[in-house]
Amino acid sequence: MKQILLITDGCSNVGLSPVVAAAHAKSEGINVNVVGVLDQGDVGELGASEIEEIARAGGGLSRMVNMRQLSQTVQMMTRKTVVQTIQLAVQKELKQVLGNGSIEALPPEKRGEVVRVIDELGETSGLKVALLIDASASMKPKLAAVEEAIRDLMLSLQARQGKSEISVFHFPGSRHGDDCVMDLAWTSHLNGVQSIFPKLQMAGTTPTGPAIMQVVDYYRQGQNDMSDYSRRARNETDGMMGDYVV
Amino acid sequence: MTTSFKLELRRGSVVVGKWRMGRYRIERLLGEGANGKVYLVQRDRDWLAMKIGADTVDLQSEINVLKSLDKQRSLETFLYDVDDLYGPDGREYPFYIMRYVRGTTLASYLKQQGPEWFPLVALNLLGKLAKLHKAGWVFGDLKVENVMVADYGHVELVDYGGVTAKGKSVRQFTEIYDRGYWNGGSRSADPGYDLFSFAVLCIQLHEPKRLHALTKELLPQNRSTSELMEIADNCPGLKPVSGWLKRALMGEFADAAEGAEAWRALMHRRVTRNSPGMPGWLKGLAATSGLLLAASMGWLLLDLFL
Ligand SMILES: Nc1ncnc2c1ncn2[C@@H]1O[C@H](COP(=O)(O)OP(=O)(O)O)[C@@H](O)[C@H]1O
Ligand SMILES: [Mg+2]
Repeated sequence: MKQILLITDGCSNVGLSPVVAAAHAKSEGINVNVVGVLDQGDVGELGASEIEEIARAGGGLSRMVNMRQLSQTVQMMTRKTVVQTIQLAVQKELKQVLGNGSIEALPPEKRGEVVRVIDELGETSGLKVALLIDASASMKPKLAAVEEAIRDLMLSLQARQGKSEISVFHFPGSRHGDDCVMDLAWTSHLNGVQSIFPKLQMAGTTPTGPAIMQVVDYYRQGQNDMSDYSRRARNETDGMMGDYVV
Repeated sequence: MTTSFKLELRRGSVVVGKWRMGRYRIERLLGEGANGKVYLVQRDRDWLAMKIGADTVDLQSEINVLKSLDKQRSLETFLYDVDDLYGPDGREYPFYIMRYVRGTTLASYLKQQGPEWFPLVALNLLGKLAKLHKAGWVFGDLKVENVMVADYGHVELVDYGGVTAKGKSVRQFTEIYDRGYWNGGSRSADPGYDLFSFAVLCIQLHEPKRLHALTKELLPQNRSTSELMEIADNCPGLKPVSGWLKRALMGEFADAAEGAEAWRALMHRRVTRNSPGMPGWLKGLAATSGLLLAASMGWLLLDLFL
């Protein structure tokens, strides 16, 4: 199962529409979840509807939360999406068997077994979550909470029986106007990772759509040439290639 | 995520199950949580509890656990009926009927009956957890709201939504009771997970304000079991069990039975000295443990054909 989890606090303002990008992700079998983080006020009506639409286009969930709820929300959303992804696949299968794919339409005594299979698959299937973090200036005071939420998610995923991996990206790229930068390549633990976002230069635009596209690309490349990608990521963290990721 | 759940059933209204036609008269709302609402209902002359779910799959998953537990426990049945109802809004909602657990929440019981009931109530709770552990389960979402206490400190667990088979990832938890939240270990279901939550619950009962303040003031990386211990050590009501709490927080008890034994020994000492728990589409999911899953899928399809 593949997911992208976008954490943002407002509106995209350059490049491809994030809704279109999320639809691309979905067509690649990647579900896009979106968390909108609020400070005191709100993300504005535009931001809110964009967040909702990105998730809808990406076949995922969206939530507006304040910083204190971030970890819990990220954890529950990921879990819920896993169940939904499997549920969809199971329903597709049921449709071929029963001519009706909805679990609700089954009589209660038949649901038990279907749900047992969903639960089993949810626990044991491989799972990849790419976290895409909006690092535009307004997000700066929230990055500590974001990092904490990522660590908390890793802890939950590690408890699963199936293989679970995360990767982390932020956008926009700092120097050369890149759409997004990889902070962490696929990994199943954060042992020894001191800081996920070491001294970020937060500046400029919010290219949410192009950033999503880049992560989709990362997933696609990962299928062919994973090693090349992580090598580039390593170069990236060494600062040898600046912000050049793709 | 609290699912927005607007359904409200009026006192005196009668619900008839869509599939099994059971008739239930609504008496009153007993409580609600993140996953549903629980009503006190009457069928014939029996008082029962009806849990209405916001999500069919989530609720069914809980029902599956209750079914396995009922098979394992030789005593009283807990789960009575599973069905769907039509809400006043015309929508269908899944529900199940369970035993009505009389009593009040743990916190209000101790407030009403006095703190001298704490050691016994806690011991009884450990006894309930021990039974689950023995049957291969972990309760998961142990917290004040999910423990009901009736006369003479009789304890009953409610909300089986977090109950997880040993070795799997805990299905549902609440941050302040969660071992992972306090950097005290994994979120894998093992008996120690419940005992950790049990220790937090003891602290929550005695020092709710200080515990709450601690969650506000500590940076996530600084949350630790020793911070929890510090509260316990400075609380007169917990002093006699502070050694026990430390062992629970450190994961030193094999299971709740062992924990209960140690707790009982403590109580005894206190009392004598002076007074007072299918193949194709599978690949599409990038599933890993293929064999096991293919097998369970086989059973599923077989079951549906029969
Ligand atoms: N069998 C029962 N008998 C009496 N009260 C119950 C019963 N089950 C639940 N309740 C009450 O309803 C509340 C919510 O039920 P719960 O199962 O915990 O819902 P949720 O899964 O949404 O948290 C509980 O905290 C408890 O007060
Ligand atoms: Mg509950």
